Amino acid sequence: MSNKTLTLMMGLVAFLILAVGAVFLVVALGGSGDDDSQPADGSTQKTPGASGTSTGSTAKICESKVLIVPGDEPLAPFDPILVGDESTAAYIVEIFGGLVTLDRNLKVVPDIAESWTVSPDGLVYTFKLRGNALFHDNTRVTANDFKYSLERAADPANASPTVKAYLGRIKGLEDKLSGKATDVSGVKVVDAQTLEITLAKPEPVFIQELTYPVAFVVKQSQIEQDPRNWTRKPIGTGPFKIVEFSPAEKIRLVRNDRYHLGAPLLEEVVFELGGGSISTRYQNDEIHIGFVPALNLKDIEDGKSDLSKEYVPVPQMAVSYITLNPNQAPFDDLKVRQALAMSVDKASINDVLLYGYYRVADGILPPDMPGYKESVSGFKYDIDAAKKLLSESKYAGNFPRIILTYGGSGGNSPETLVAIQDGWTQLGLDVQLQAVDSAALLREQRRGTFQALSEGWIADYPDPGNFIEKLFGSDSPLNYTKYQNADVDRLIERASAEPDDAKRADLYTQAEQLILNDAVTIPMFWPVEHTLIKSCVVNYPSVSMAIPKYRYIDIDPTK
Amino acid sequence: MGSGVLGYTLRRVLWAVPVLFVISVMVFYMLRLAPNDPVDAILGRNAYQEDVANRLREKYGYDDPIYVQYWKYMKNLAQGDLGLSTQHQDFTAGEVIWPKIWTSTQLNMFALVIVFGLGIPVGVYAALARGTFLDPLAIGGWLLLDAIPTFVMAPILIWLFATQLGVVGLTWEGPYSTNAILPILIISLPGVAGVARLMRASVISVIGEDYVRTARAKGLKESTVIITHITRNALLPMVTVIGLSLPGLTSGSLFVELFFGIPGIGRESLAAATTPDYDVILAIVLFGSVLFVGANILVDVLYGFIDPRVRIGAGRGG
Repeated sequence: MSNKTLTLMMGLVAFLILAVGAVFLVVALGGSGDDDSQPADGSTQKTPGASGTSTGSTAKICESKVLIVPGDEPLAPFDPILVGDESTAAYIVEIFGGLVTLDRNLKVVPDIAESWTVSPDGLVYTFKLRGNALFHDNTRVTANDFKYSLERAADPANASPTVKAYLGRIKGLEDKLSGKATDVSGVKVVDAQTLEITLAKPEPVFIQELTYPVAFVVKQSQIEQDPRNWTRKPIGTGPFKIVEFSPAEKIRLVRNDRYHLGAPLLEEVVFELGGGSISTRYQNDEIHIGFVPALNLKDIEDGKSDLSKEYVPVPQMAVSYITLNPNQAPFDDLKVRQALAMSVDKASINDVLLYGYYRVADGILPPDMPGYKESVSGFKYDIDAAKKLLSESKYAGNFPRIILTYGGSGGNSPETLVAIQDGWTQLGLDVQLQAVDSAALLREQRRGTFQALSEGWIADYPDPGNFIEKLFGSDSPLNYTKYQNADVDRLIERASAEPDDAKRADLYTQAEQLILNDAVTIPMFWPVEHTLIKSCVVNYPSVSMAIPKYRYIDIDPTK
Repeated sequence: MGSGVLGYTLRRVLWAVPVLFVISVMVFYMLRLAPNDPVDAILGRNAYQEDVANRLREKYGYDDPIYVQYWKYMKNLAQGDLGLSTQHQDFTAGEVIWPKIWTSTQLNMFALVIVFGLGIPVGVYAALARGTFLDPLAIGGWLLLDAIPTFVMAPILIWLFATQLGVVGLTWEGPYSTNAILPILIISLPGVAGVARLMRASVISVIGEDYVRTARAKGLKESTVIITHITRNALLPMVTVIGLSLPGLTSGSLFVELFFGIPGIGRESLAAATTPDYDVILAIVLFGSVLFVGANILVDVLYGFIDPRVRIGAGRGG
């Protein structure tokens, strides 16, 4: 009896150990076999058992009107005037609203303003507010709320990092910002439903900039009652209300039934901030939106995978590039810059190192940007021409060492940079890579002390000026290398005053080509978000910018 | 001399104060002297303006000399205020870390139960099977699990149980859902071998004792001998091991948290260190130090209870 119990116990433990061992053996063998066979036949990735469970639970996440998506951790509080980053702006545009907004085609459309008129001299904008626009607490939005919100943004005590860049064109705003005035003279309440904004100079891009969060309307009484913590449950006017925010865990937005542009179709949007294994969770039917791992991209693009029909490439309004600082030797020599621009084999880097994940950038403006022209082109890959240019350079035979600095986010991956380094070394140059943390990168950018820098830029609003003027205009604070080309400046100035979109785009195109010829920047890639979207999710807008998008989306269990 | 346990405890607690002071000063200065700047991280590239940056430095007090900042921090700390998070700007450092520490702690408690619940019987079994091939097999099997790094084990188990078998999900729904089983297993399985080997050694040392032989000679059932006489006595040294592993309960498991999207303190520590989020880092480090120092005092005091020589030796000077 006693021996029997003992034997049983021993047997159980041994069984447990063997079972675990066997599982690992099976997994190890199965795993390696799978890796080898995958390129040949990617579609048989799932076993019958898995597809059986997946159809069952697909129905489950498609049954309710709750959309579950991976989200980014907001970097700023939910206060429209403090938002300078894309990830926070994505939430702000759903919770708050302003006079105007962007639709899914990136056109400026009315939001709380029903309509607006511009005076013939282009200086005075008169906005007629709609009567049915409500805050989340069901109080009416009036012109006074906008005056309060815009002046709050301009209050230097609130330290808005974006007010100068986006609302600086309003007359008198700079005075308020520098403490010279107590109100913004250019913002006038005509009556409860009419707001008049006067600009310092006629600049049509102003209406685009009004779609940015810093121009959104906030609830005065809430802020005054709870100045420290109101941003946790902010009262906005947007299509969704925030009901939960647990840092690094999740954000939950619920539908605003009384939204003036039509209540959203979804009941709730859940942003999972935890990260985790996104693509596995997507395949496991736990979230509606997933991302394609680089290794599987070819199969999915070629239609060889189960996931191909759920695949949607979302082009980003962004560009990654290498900046060559014209104030640092040897890049003060145009020939050296051009030679380096010619010796980066972008196409091979993308195909071989990055599995074709990006689009090779010929120019600065991404193709989906309004005003993009295919005719704009940087230097083509040509090592021989590059060598010839270098031999004509004033540094010929005596090149200083080149340090290519990188770090943070938005730039190129380290393996890409090694490939760039390789290309430049072929020219006989001594090239070093230097990694810095993201804060240090920002400092190097600001001080303009670097020789060459790997960086990236994401559009704030869909206008070419956001790239060309912000990065290369000689008086833009973001032009860190103090690059200056009088022709470029002239074109930018003409463009910002040009009311006709096509003509403005044309002027920016000319400026862009001049900048590329100067080779102060080597555009590398236009990133693409290779997204997977469950088939029951309809109307998911394929725009990566922070525009209100969840009110259009629906979950249709029949699809 | 009036020492006794109380006096001894008091002395030990008083000694902890300078220890914690030195730790706090060192961490505080190291953070402030490091080259990265939280204001850079808050504003990022698009929004950086010198005047806005200066206002933020003022708000968080970064414009003061470091010793002034330290003094202010300590004053606030004495009132239970851990400061503000710069990475999660809507939250205080306390609001950021406490829920995350609690999440990690709950996971670790489950894991602790598994580690000892499996490790102790495996150790007993291996000791009893000494001399047969089953002994090295039992221990070796668990050592194998110990040898597999978390970042290898996690994707394998995810692939097997979540993707292929579909028995668990990967969405984090709190420590009391079935989705927490995988992370708990991954945290606990590597720890079993260590406990099992300790237990095995302990059982082997007990097995030859006179009272075991006596028990068998009395004709007791073998199971009674194993459970009451051998295992119970062999468990004594395990109490110390369990006690010493308690402070570790509040620490996070970074890889597991990353793979499963768990809002635990491991991921938060990483994010705080890279941002950098001064007050959150300080809060995490100070909490860990207090816990560690406290656990050491507790162990020493308990030893003092058990063995009077310890407290008399330590009390000589006072």
